Amino acid sequence: MTVNNIWVITDDQNAVGELCDGGRQLGKQVSVILFSDQNRAQEAISSGADQVYLFGQAGESVMIEDYSKSIAELLRAEKADLVLVYSSIRGKLIAGRIATQLGISVLSNVSELTVDDGSIIVKHMVYGGAAIRTEKALTDTVVVTVGSGVFEAMPKDAARQGKVNEINPNVDNAGIRILETRPKQGELVNLSAAKRVVGVGRGFAAQEDLKMAEEFTALVGAEMACSRPIAEGEKWMSKERYVGVSGVVLKPDIYIALGISGQIQHMVGVNHAKTLVAINKDKNAPIFKQVDIGLVGDLYKVLPKIAEKIKAQN
Amino acid sequence: MRVITCCKAVPEAQDIVVTKDRQISIEKAEWKFGQYDLNAVEAGKQIVEAVGGQLSGLCAGGKILDNSKLRKDILSRGLDDLYVVMDEKMEQADTYQSAKVLEAAIQKMGDFDLVLCGAGSSDLYAQQVGNQLGELLGLPVVNAVNKITPEGDKIIVERTVENAIQVLEISLPAVFSVTSEINVPRIAGMKDIIAANKKSVSKFTLSEINADNLPNSSSEILSTMAPEQVDRRLNILEGESDEVIDAFVKLLSAELK
Amino acid sequence: MVGVKVLDEEKFDVIVVGGGLAGSTAAYILAQQGLEVLLIERGNYAGSKNMTGGRLYAHSLEKIIPNFAEEAPVERKVVNERISMMTEKDAVTMSYHSPRLAETGSDSYVVLRGKFDRWLFDKAEEAGAMVTAGIKVDQLMVEDNRVTGVICGGEEMKADVVILADGVNSLLAEKAGLRKRVQPSHVAVGAKETYELPAKVIEDRFSLTGDEGTAWLFAGSPSSGQVGGGFLYTNKESISIGLVLGLEHITESGKTLEEMMVGFTNHPEIAPLIKDGKLLERSGHVVPEAGLSMVSTLYGDGFLICGDAAGFCLNIGYMVRGMDLAITSGELAAKAVLKAKEKGDFSSSSLQSYKEMLDNSFIMNDLSVYKNFPAFMDNPRIFNQYPSMLSGIMADMFIIDGKPALPLRKKAMKHLKAVGLLNLAKDALNGVKSV
Ligand SMILES: Cc1cc2nc3c(=O)[nH]c(=O)nc-3n(C[C@H](O)[C@H](O)[C@H](O)COP(=O)(O)OP(=O)(O)OC[C@H]3O[C@@H](n4cnc5c(N)ncnc54)[C@H](O)[C@@H]3O)c2cc1C
Ligand SMILES: Cc1cc2nc3c(=O)[nH]c(=O)nc-3n(C[C@H](O)[C@H](O)[C@H](O)COP(=O)(O)OP(=O)(O)OC[C@H]3O[C@@H](n4cnc5c(N)ncnc54)[C@H](O)[C@@H]3O)c2cc1C
Ligand SMILES: Nc1ncnc2c1ncn2[C@@H]1O[C@H](COP(=O)(O)O)[C@@H](O)[C@H]1O
Repeated sequence: MTVNNIWVITDDQNAVGELCDGGRQLGKQVSVILFSDQNRAQEAISSGADQVYLFGQAGESVMIEDYSKSIAELLRAEKADLVLVYSSIRGKLIAGRIATQLGISVLSNVSELTVDDGSIIVKHMVYGGAAIRTEKALTDTVVVTVGSGVFEAMPKDAARQGKVNEINPNVDNAGIRILETRPKQGELVNLSAAKRVVGVGRGFAAQEDLKMAEEFTALVGAEMACSRPIAEGEKWMSKERYVGVSGVVLKPDIYIALGISGQIQHMVGVNHAKTLVAINKDKNAPIFKQVDIGLVGDLYKVLPKIAEKIKAQN
Repeated sequence: MRVITCCKAVPEAQDIVVTKDRQISIEKAEWKFGQYDLNAVEAGKQIVEAVGGQLSGLCAGGKILDNSKLRKDILSRGLDDLYVVMDEKMEQADTYQSAKVLEAAIQKMGDFDLVLCGAGSSDLYAQQVGNQLGELLGLPVVNAVNKITPEGDKIIVERTVENAIQVLEISLPAVFSVTSEINVPRIAGMKDIIAANKKSVSKFTLSEINADNLPNSSSEILSTMAPEQVDRRLNILEGESDEVIDAFVKLLSAELK
Repeated sequence: MVGVKVLDEEKFDVIVVGGGLAGSTAAYILAQQGLEVLLIERGNYAGSKNMTGGRLYAHSLEKIIPNFAEEAPVERKVVNERISMMTEKDAVTMSYHSPRLAETGSDSYVVLRGKFDRWLFDKAEEAGAMVTAGIKVDQLMVEDNRVTGVICGGEEMKADVVILADGVNSLLAEKAGLRKRVQPSHVAVGAKETYELPAKVIEDRFSLTGDEGTAWLFAGSPSSGQVGGGFLYTNKESISIGLVLGLEHITESGKTLEEMMVGFTNHPEIAPLIKDGKLLERSGHVVPEAGLSMVSTLYGDGFLICGDAAGFCLNIGYMVRGMDLAITSGELAAKAVLKAKEKGDFSSSSLQSYKEMLDNSFIMNDLSVYKNFPAFMDNPRIFNQYPSMLSGIMADMFIIDGKPALPLRKKAMKHLKAVGLLNLAKDALNGVKSV
């Protein structure tokens, strides 16, 4: 099988560039399915799409996921070889539903995607990051979910030409009605861009103690991130800020872990940091097996002192 | 209301040993039910506690599911009964195969109002079996469910997507995947553990649920290897004295230059 | 099924607190006899929190589960005994090989609690005991001076009788006022480290083959001249090494246990044995030290105490022995309960048979044999001057540096004087008296 028809599905316009770039690298023809409007469609074309299929915004009460059947039909009719679905919450549900329509699995959260004499090879983490699995797709159409950072968006080219097809899809009668959509107050952070990151973990006993960390973070001119329990269990920080296999994966110059034990699921998010630093009171904490610089001590005692001394320097 | 929660037994990530040339071995690993499946069990428990009903567990997997400790553990977390589908084939099942088997089992389990899955299995974390199962059953299906409120033959859920919270009205039966934030799973008490001993466990083979011819795998596993280890300097200081702090700050500042 | 009945009447025949060797043994025997037993272990699994040097004398468990060593996860069978007297740098080592060490009845095995306790705990479950791991008993239920059950996380569970096998710092017994506080001078502390090494390497370093193992005890510098000693046991693919030291002596030595441990593991005699070993675990634990004099209340209305909780542990300075006592005391506690069950009387007077059985067992015998031993051991000379004296003598004998040689008697005298002949005689005498 040769990989010709690449399809991109995303509910997030920001992902179009990267996914189109991936599409161009992997196949000949890139078709993009969007749930927005003409302008966005044009934008997609200048970002590398050959064709755009516009499933306009569904009515207030309808979920775009309920277009899955129509999308699956379209993919079947157009003989899609590879479908790159942006791994947003909605994207994942769409991917799962269309794959089921096509009678296949979803290759999820892939970190690498290549074509090796006609067959599609993907890499993704298993066992919470303890291992990386390489798989070869065996189906005629292959559905994968991809996050940001796997491909690099290429520069937009306003001159590119492409076709926009407006679809008016039939909504599966899925028995789901949207009663209300509330914007989340969560701030928009782009940790993956940050060069310096300070990560906080359960070593902090109370939310107000994070102030210490915030001051330190500002002092070293870094962005603040956290381990999953801080964002999900404690809800002290927004989900966008937790690092790891199911959170953000970073490649900063330096990552400073404060009160983080260093469980694999967290560390896979920072293993690519050029320099790893950790402060933890437990000298047997796993994180000390994988740092460049470590300090064994109670962060409540040492962090203020460290801040003092750094201030003194500047 | 009959709620079915799907739970998957997985080897503990921290017990996985890396043998030579980045091969991994799960031989010594302890098996546990996925951390996130416990959120699904808890969510189910809270529903039956609120509106009454029955909470059944469903798991498909290899021979490890014969381990009575493992089964007792999940039963002690609030299930009324447990259904187990056991077959070696399930050890390497992909998301579609898993969904197919769960669908077949559910058909066998009789009437139900709601199927709950976790945010993701702790080994594959594909976050898809729930979605595919829902589609196979031809039922309303949503992921990232963060709040569940039963209202008669309907149910109201809050779903957190990237930038918004959707409030959805969903007709039953339905299939949800819950977030790991939806609740904090309760810790089994002495009486829960004792009670787990008398709860019924039904075992199925694939043929008993008419699923012995699984669909082909969608992919072939070429390798499963430990990630490349970055060599770190392991320059570790110990203590809270000023000397130590000075030394640490010195090292740190050098990096921040 | 067991559970069904229990839930109906919310009561067990017996509740055993603690899934260590004592507790699991008791539960195993009682369940086998068809009693409704609840075995409660605080750790996430039995053995997860337990610590031991590692040598189990087989005789006790052998009686209960014949040929247990064939199915149980034992590490190695001890065929080689060594004892060393150490100074900072030197060591005088005695080594003992004998087929008798391997004979059933007098054989002993090195075990790792994490595996071994778990196995025995599971045996109890197989036998029909209801087991719960990861549950801590917070206190005993006491109704008009009679123990009637346990309370865990606010939940009450009743039983005719409760067996306390909750280990050396048996807080439960204390809380319920069944037993007085443990005096510091009555306990020693132990530190232990386990180093991972390939089986092949271990066998080469200790010249062992197959499942053979070495048990090695140390007196002298490991406890930096204080009362106590060191031990080293070979596991299948790791080495257990540690120190035991009288609690009140730690302060005197001016060194922390941790520092002593570092000194010990770096001793020229030890370092090469654990070289390149990966530190798997580090643990600390208390040892009931004072033998008989620490044994307190053993039974009362509705309860029995066994194992370390009862003080059944021999600490002979350079070695600690408690696992076989724990197992047998668990067995006897179970037997006492079975007797009581026949009479349907779980009062103190009915449970007294436990004490009688103990008195006729090796437990009380060995405890009284070593009655004064802790006191005798409580003498720095034993752990300080004698080791250096011995190594001094050895040095003179073996180190030939061209200096005019003294006749051996003179050599020896020189060192004996250092200690003082009188002291020597005194200690020798006490030593004999105390055994
Ligand atoms: C499928 C799956 C996916 C997961 N994905 C992620 C993920 O993407 N990201 C993630 O982070 N986790 C993830 N987890 C959870 C992960 O396994 C760990 O539970 C989590 O990373 C632990 O966070 P922590 O280190 O902050 O807390 P802990 O593990 O509790 O560590 C706290 C540390 O702080 C230290 N400490 C305590 N007090 C002090 C003090 N005063 N001074 C200094 N140090 C102190 C302690 O010694 C300890 O080492 C996942 C788990 C699963 C099963
Ligand atoms: C350093 C050291 C070296 C030793 N070396 C040897 C040796 O080589 N050979 C030998 O024979 N003996 C040795 N011993 C002694 C031996 O380890 C003990 O005598 C033996 O473990 C006693 O067993 P036990 O079952 O009575 O108590 P433990 O093994 O301590 O078991 C008590 C159990 O009760 C549980 N528990 C405690 N409180 C509660 C509660 N409230 N609720 C529920 N569960 C609870 C604990 O988790 C534990 O599992 C050594 C001891 C030490 C410290
Ligand atoms: N073999 C299985 N048995 C039972 N439930 C499963 C199984 N595999 C997956 N699930 C459920 O599907 C969810 C998502 O799994 P996954 O798609 O593998 O991340 C899990 O959290 C479980 O609730």
